[in-house]
Amino acid sequence: MNNSRMKIIDSDVHPWVNGDIEGLKPYMSKSWQMRFEGKRAILPDHPLRPPLAGATSIRRDTTPPSGGAGGSDPYFMREDHLDPHGIEYAILSSIQAGKLVSLPNTGEAITLARAFNDYFRDKWLDVDSRYRLAMCVAVHDPVEAAKEIRRIGGEQSIVAVYMPLINVLMGNRHYYPIYEAAEELGLPILIHPTGTEGAFQTSVAFAGGVPSSYIERHSCFPQIAMGNIASLLFEGVFVRFPKLKFLAAEFGFSWVPHMLWRVDQNWRQFRREVPWLEQEPSRYVLDHVRFTSQPLEEPEKDEYLIQILEMVHAERTILFSTDYPHWDTDYPETTFQRLPQAMKQRIFYDNAAELFGLNAAV
Amino acid sequence: MEHNVGRLEDIPNTDALIVDIEGRPIGVFKRGDKVYAVKNLCPHKRAPLARGTVEGTMLPTACVGEFKYGMENQVVKCPWHGWEFDLETGKCLFGVSDSKIKTYPVSVRDGQVYVDV
Repeated sequence: MNNSRMKIIDSDVHPWVNGDIEGLKPYMSKSWQMRFEGKRAILPDHPLRPPLAGATSIRRDTTPPSGGAGGSDPYFMREDHLDPHGIEYAILSSIQAGKLVSLPNTGEAITLARAFNDYFRDKWLDVDSRYRLAMCVAVHDPVEAAKEIRRIGGEQSIVAVYMPLINVLMGNRHYYPIYEAAEELGLPILIHPTGTEGAFQTSVAFAGGVPSSYIERHSCFPQIAMGNIASLLFEGVFVRFPKLKFLAAEFGFSWVPHMLWRVDQNWRQFRREVPWLEQEPSRYVLDHVRFTSQPLEEPEKDEYLIQILEMVHAERTILFSTDYPHWDTDYPETTFQRLPQAMKQRIFYDNAAELFGLNAAV
Repeated sequence: MEHNVGRLEDIPNTDALIVDIEGRPIGVFKRGDKVYAVKNLCPHKRAPLARGTVEGTMLPTACVGEFKYGMENQVVKCPWHGWEFDLETGKCLFGVSDSKIKTYPVSVRDGQVYVDV
């Protein structure tokens, strides 16, 4: 079947709030407004910018006629993205909100996460029922983050918890309150590069040192997912929270076969360090972790991609995504064109529908 | 057929006594009042298993973060990758692998140790 006629869930779409923190002020108390005003706080950009127009990752052609940044107008996104590409659901995660991990101040991060959530609930989710939100939490304070999950996570339009990561690996018990709340509400945890990696002391550090260009840091994003999945696995989060699922968005997946084999190999020799794992570690990963497709890797030969998809059990684990409105958008019409139909159905729709608890759009 | 491999008191308490019986390399371990004989070959990468250690291991635990040490003196651990085998059954522990080590029956009579090959 032609991809343009398939039902599609896009698991990685990025809305934007014009005006940075200023644009969020209607969604915070007067006291917090004045607190941010008083220090001229901003959500800072990584200094290694993409060498693209405007040195931004947002495509120029997604700029709405109303003005503002690409991704900031839910009506234009509907017209520019959902309708022409037959997107039945778009999972919104705010990478702009992800930048709050650059802030060392816990109170500010909590306030901003809540304001982002309320902004999108107010401005986006009622515009079109195809929009579904991965609500943001400030992991600086997991108890407060859990309260935020319980405050709004039961709403039908909220389908995941986006955890912008600080430099503490995800298996750490620090995060348990977040996992408890997410599991209780049946919400998967979504992780995504925040764009702050390696640039701020509270943000995730890259392995080995500090990249020196955008191409270098962008190439290294998979490291972050690899380290965090190993942490989740061996620290026993998948055992401790058996119903909890995770989505690694925009970290690629061609490295996953390597990781599956390596964790199994290591388990055979070092099982006694993690006696709570009762089966091969790769099985936990395949049961609990999902990956988005974009930016789809382009191996030397087309058949290699099929082989990699088989190795990662793509019929269970891979979710189609566009990353609209960013520069490296993968559109359905030009992505995964040569896959077996059954695998396409799983990747373009079923895997996401199961993960996010989505049925056919009304 | 039983082969006398020496006096019980001559088998080391820490390392293995390594012997050759009918061309088979065999390690004889003594731990407490138990004596075990195994083929000196790890099925994983053909390492000299008898150069490994005999100790206990961490038993499977249902609770994350909990450790429960057990099988004291019943587990041989390969000197290379640390694969663990049950000296009583020869099985690789806890489903890590289907491979087994070759074990031989041992008897002790009048202070002499016999390995049945």
